[in-house]
Amino acid sequence: MNNNKIEKVIPVFSAAFALIYIVSVELNWALLTYHPKIHQWGWLVEPARDGPPMYWYGWLVTSVLGASAVSVVAWPFLKNRPTQYWLGWSVPLLVTFSVFYLFREWFLR
Amino acid sequence: MATFLVILHGLLAVALLGSITHQAIAVVWPAQSKAGFVNAYRSVSSRAYVNANIILFLTVAALGSVIYPIYRVWVRTYLENARLYPAVGSFEIKEQLIALGLGLLPLYWLVWRRPEPASTSARTAVTLMLCFIVWFSFLVGHILNNIRGFFGL
Repeated sequence: MNNNKIEKVIPVFSAAFALIYIVSVELNWALLTYHPKIHQWGWLVEPARDGPPMYWYGWLVTSVLGASAVSVVAWPFLKNRPTQYWLGWSVPLLVTFSVFYLFREWFLR
Repeated sequence: MATFLVILHGLLAVALLGSITHQAIAVVWPAQSKAGFVNAYRSVSSRAYVNANIILFLTVAALGSVIYPIYRVWVRTYLENARLYPAVGSFEIKEQLIALGLGLLPLYWLVWRRPEPASTSARTAVTLMLCFIVWFSFLVGHILNNIRGFFGL
């Protein structure tokens, strides 16, 4: 597998990352939880121990691992096709719009 | 230590803001002539900014993730008690956009590594998206950092 061919999965990685990330945020699929007040980490989604829990790091880990897995699965289908650059930016662009929609409640209180 | 990290985070964010804005302007509004300030600003080699932007984005995001717990425990609690919900929401959006920006960095590297006609639209789109993310995040971070002054609290 030469570098040129590895590059073909990069747009898929970016698209999958954005999709998995926003789903992780909405469904709280965090692989890690951080409890900042007591400086403790936990696996998967944990309720608050002392102070608010943080899931952002866990969402990032979920997204990186998930997007990597999707890229590996997509690789055999992409190796003989042109690089799908459009996929890598159009999906994150739609997800960006969705972020503003999903968090609109904070501005309507 | 936290204050030092916030200031460093802010200073590097300024560098990233300038760098990616310069690149984005040169991409969407290129100029051949270097006559005058505006033309000189538009006629830079966009490709020269790529590695610096990637390193700066990763560094600023990493610093932000280090100081984020302080915001979550102390600042956000304060904002919620003060009923400054749009400020909290703005930071929530910033948090998600930074994550999306991190996911875009490999594509950004790819489309600038070997510019070819097939990736022209992707190059423009990714650069503009990262520029928007950096501007939004910078403004939200700056306002929240000074929110007591802004709102007379």
